[in-house]
Amino acid sequence: MSLPGIAVKAGVAASITLALAGANWANEIKGKVSVQGIKSAENIAVYVDVIADKKFDAPKDHVVVDQKKMAFIPHVVAVQQGTTVEFLNSDPVGHNVYWPSISGNKKLSHNLGTWPKGEKKPFQFNDIGTASLLCNVHPEMSGYVVVVPTPYFAVTDKEGNFEIKNVPAGKYTLKTWSEDGKPTTQAVDVSAAAATVELTVKK
Amino acid sequence: MKRRVVNGSIMASLTAVMVVLWAMLASVPKSSAIPAFSRKYQTSCTTCHNNYPELNDFGEAFKKNGFKFPKDDETFVKEPPVLLGSKAQKEAFPGAVYPGEIPGSVPVAFRYSGNFNYNSKQPSPSNLGFLPRTDLFVPNTFTIIGAGSFGPTLSFWVDNDISAGGADAAAGLGDGYLKFNDLGHAIGLPKDTLNLRMGQFELDLPITQARTINLTPYDVYSQASMATVGTACPAPTPTASQPPCTTNNPLQFGIPQRGIEIGGYPNDGNFTWSLAVVDGSNNTAALRNYKDVYVRVSQRFNLERDPESRNAVQAAGPTGPRDHTSIRFGAFYYYGRNALNMDGSLFPGFGTVHEPFYRAGGDFRFKYRHFELYGVGMYGHDQNLLPNTVTGTGFVRTSPVTFTGGFAQAQYWIYPWAMALMRYDFVDSPTDFSNGISRNNTRNRFSPGFQFLVRANIKVAFEYQHRWERPVTLSNGNTIFFHPNGIVSGIDYVF
Repeated sequence: MSLPGIAVKAGVAASITLALAGANWANEIKGKVSVQGIKSAENIAVYVDVIADKKFDAPKDHVVVDQKKMAFIPHVVAVQQGTTVEFLNSDPVGHNVYWPSISGNKKLSHNLGTWPKGEKKPFQFNDIGTASLLCNVHPEMSGYVVVVPTPYFAVTDKEGNFEIKNVPAGKYTLKTWSEDGKPTTQAVDVSAAAATVELTVKK
Repeated sequence: MKRRVVNGSIMASLTAVMVVLWAMLASVPKSSAIPAFSRKYQTSCTTCHNNYPELNDFGEAFKKNGFKFPKDDETFVKEPPVLLGSKAQKEAFPGAVYPGEIPGSVPVAFRYSGNFNYNSKQPSPSNLGFLPRTDLFVPNTFTIIGAGSFGPTLSFWVDNDISAGGADAAAGLGDGYLKFNDLGHAIGLPKDTLNLRMGQFELDLPITQARTINLTPYDVYSQASMATVGTACPAPTPTASQPPCTTNNPLQFGIPQRGIEIGGYPNDGNFTWSLAVVDGSNNTAALRNYKDVYVRVSQRFNLERDPESRNAVQAAGPTGPRDHTSIRFGAFYYYGRNALNMDGSLFPGFGTVHEPFYRAGGDFRFKYRHFELYGVGMYGHDQNLLPNTVTGTGFVRTSPVTFTGGFAQAQYWIYPWAMALMRYDFVDSPTDFSNGISRNNTRNRFSPGFQFLVRANIKVAFEYQHRWERPVTLSNGNTIFFHPNGIVSGIDYVF
């Protein structure tokens, strides 16, 4: 191989390496949510807020929320805008799913009605915000669908830990939603492979 | 228009009768919603009640299943029972006690209800005595309730008004029974065809009094058969034109009785039947040796179009589960023999008077979404025997004491927490007219009302009563008529 040829190939390889470095899809945001005045740090949605000039296609995979033993499972589910959620009834009793608003907007209220055990009813969530899932015959049942604008989100475990994977490098705004706490906003810089964040949610 | 002038001594007697009647009405036991079940299943009252203590379709199915969820009960129990023997111990029977269970925690709940009363201004001075224009929290009732299951086929219920009325006032037991569920299963009968209940319980009434949402009892359920007060008995050969005077039957339909009942509700509860043998004396000791018999049958026609929804415990509505659109028709019959003169004091020289009596009637109940309409019609007939003073032995028949009565009620849910209702009660009793309790043979009342669920376990209720006219004797001896109307509002909570 001639020297110029080697130089060209080396240049291409270097360019690809730099390009890959600039679009690092393996980054992640790890962190822990602490709470003040709230019983538990579990079930807090943490998500990357709107990214300017960036749009995401609606996911093809559906998310399932079950009604089992007279409870919504999971209690909190975060989904990307445009996701279809399938509501399953696993109980031998009649249930109903409705939400009186999405983040207070009552025009977005919806009632899915009733369906028998073992069947699902889908709904596509196109509006950003939180839908409070209710059952009108079992008012003790509650669940939440947190609709977020990006595919970068997670829900905390019992200790408040969360992990958002496959986040491209960049600077973002991280937000939280919780059942009992106020929303929290924090800037995060995902330039390293893993960004670690400490968040505090207050009542 | 017929009028009757009643003398002072009779009115004094009648006043006493009315006071006793009022006291009986005030002490009609109330059953309730059961927060113990809410705890056991970690679910809201609204699972079983749209407006407690009235049961919705799911609550009916829960009760009929021995206070267990109609399907897969174990998966919903958040508070496991204490086993009184392992299930395998069944194999050791009769060499060992048959295994049972008791609720995991003491299945006790409480209910408080108190009414605020506003009474129309009474003529004064009169023979009515003093009735305050307003009275706070009367009756004032605190009830303890225990209910649950002792295993797959045994259930129990106890409710007792710890106090009713003033401070430290005591009331009494409402229902207290043990029930063997689905006994017919052992001999191959369809599910829930045969059950056995024993103890003290409300009869299988067409429309329950114990779990009524109303602030006041149904008039016809409180109707007792009593002959004309204070009139000498005609003798020796009474005719139909002579007033009846021995009948004194204290039976009131709405008050629990002690007895044994078999019954069932096969075909998903669409058909119901019951046959009870009871004391006939309500809360008092048995007043006679004879037992009374009560029988009732009913058939519900489920009007849901969707077969799947029709067969489910609750119908599937576009906005959630709801009671089935349905209409139920029923019939009932009660027979007994009242006994008088057992100690010979009423008719010296004569034996015990056995006066057969019966109550018969029909009922309907229609449900459509937020609307409900139901009613009961009843006829009461008490034989009225007089001693045959000509022969000196035996008794002869005279005019029976009869009454016709019933009620109709319409309810509409404005919101899931607000209900409007209208009720009409009537009792047509010539004897009551003779006794001066009413101005005419028929006394009736309209009772419009509103009820609000402040929470699923807290209720505020209002009821206006437009009543029939009744005679009142003024101190100057004149008789006038007035409507004893009133407003009742109540607070009610269970926990």
